[in-house]
Amino acid sequence: MKAYTLVMTLLIFATSTFANVAVIVHPSNSNTVDAAAITKIFTGKAKSFGDGSKAVPLSQKSSSATTTEFNKKALKKSSSQLKAYWSKLVFTGKGTPPKELSNDADVIKMVSTNPNTIGFVSAGSADGSVKVVHTY
Amino acid sequence: MKIKLLFALIVAYSLPLQAEINISGFASVNGGKVLSGKGVFGNEATFLADYPIVSTYTEDFSMKPESLFGLQFTGDLTEGLTATAQVVARGANDYDAKFEWAYISYDLNENWTLQAGKKRLPLFYYSDFFDVGYAYVWMRAPADNYTWQIFNYNGINALYSGSIGDWSLSANLYGGREDDTHNKLLSDFFFKVPVREIWKDILGGVIQVNNDWLEIRATHMQYTNEREISGQPYDFGNGNMERDGKFYGLAVNADFGNLFILTELNKLDLGDDFDTYMVSVGYRFDNITPFISYADYEQDATDGENHNTTSFGIRWDFHSSAAFKIQYDDVEDDSVNLAVAGDSESITFGIDVVF
Repeated sequence: MKAYTLVMTLLIFATSTFANVAVIVHPSNSNTVDAAAITKIFTGKAKSFGDGSKAVPLSQKSSSATTTEFNKKALKKSSSQLKAYWSKLVFTGKGTPPKELSNDADVIKMVSTNPNTIGFVSAGSADGSVKVVHTY
Repeated sequence: MKIKLLFALIVAYSLPLQAEINISGFASVNGGKVLSGKGVFGNEATFLADYPIVSTYTEDFSMKPESLFGLQFTGDLTEGLTATAQVVARGANDYDAKFEWAYISYDLNENWTLQAGKKRLPLFYYSDFFDVGYAYVWMRAPADNYTWQIFNYNGINALYSGSIGDWSLSANLYGGREDDTHNKLLSDFFFKVPVREIWKDILGGVIQVNNDWLEIRATHMQYTNEREISGQPYDFGNGNMERDGKFYGLAVNADFGNLFILTELNKLDLGDDFDTYMVSVGYRFDNITPFISYADYEQDATDGENHNTTSFGIRWDFHSSAAFKIQYDDVEDDSVNLAVAGDSESITFGIDVVF
């Protein structure tokens, strides 16, 4: 029984700590969007998809667990490192950070209606209205 | 009166003002004091933490030298056109707010942006975001390197950003001039009389490449210097009323995830060479980042200006938009006739925020 509880605890711990993040685009977007492209788009180093169409990254509130997960896995930065990175660009006229939406539903809504956008949501919440291009 | 107001409101609402204005800002509230120091030329013991702003700490604790408050307004006029103004109020200037940046920016295409107006002179790696303490690890960019008296310019800048394989590439080509009618560093600190400092025919370029762990920045800038002291044109020697300066800089930063190394190597050729360099090493323990740093300034001349600073400190990201920093600086001023502020040991600390 004790062993079972331990296994359960580990499982719960594992799922909550390593919750997957899905990167989503509009279903009509047929570009290859790999991890390298995602990093570049979300750090302002690339402004378009492979076919040359404009890429508009959408983030979520910095306090959300999904955002923390995405920053860590896709951008390899803590939220304060990312904030420092963006403040460097914002106050020198070299870039603007992605717009922050409030939750998965808002990101899905925006991505499903605007072919230029790219966002991230917790893996389970992506539905048929968007296309998952990468998971972390 | 009411009708007039109503009319004004109608006019205001009907104007085709489509610009979305974004306001962002940064602030630093810092304090510190000299723990021990020699002082030079009969002056009290002083730590010159920032040359161009003349941030001087003495043995009396003060929060004015390096505290500042900055607001940035960006009007997005759509189709790649923006207008940006940055207003900064510095404790060192009694919080007298001044426009530090005021420029119009236009995206020609995905890679090229043209900017015109008043901007920061991008001599050093940290020049552009010198005022944004939150963006770097120390209390300040190393003072022995960031010594030059002109730090803004009025002109035109072409900005390129693109990539080559896994490397991101950005470049700047800029030109302009700066006429600082009352240069703070020269007037208040060195000459002690009003000095007008002119850097004209400024022409410079910056190239920066980075991949996910390595960043290299190289720069060159040239200008012609004219000066007026107490309203009189200044003779730089042998009847030369102007002189040419050439600046060279190289910065290499490596970030291994937790461990990071920051380096800068610069030279200003004004006839004499003025060589500066700095090396900093830090390690991120989650939200606590201790660091050590060494910065050096050397004038290649007999009895020139020579000084260096050894620093160590901690940055603590205690909040998602704020960092607390504390730093100890040991300044060695080896110059004699050109002594700047003398030897000193100081402690400074404060909070940086961005919003």
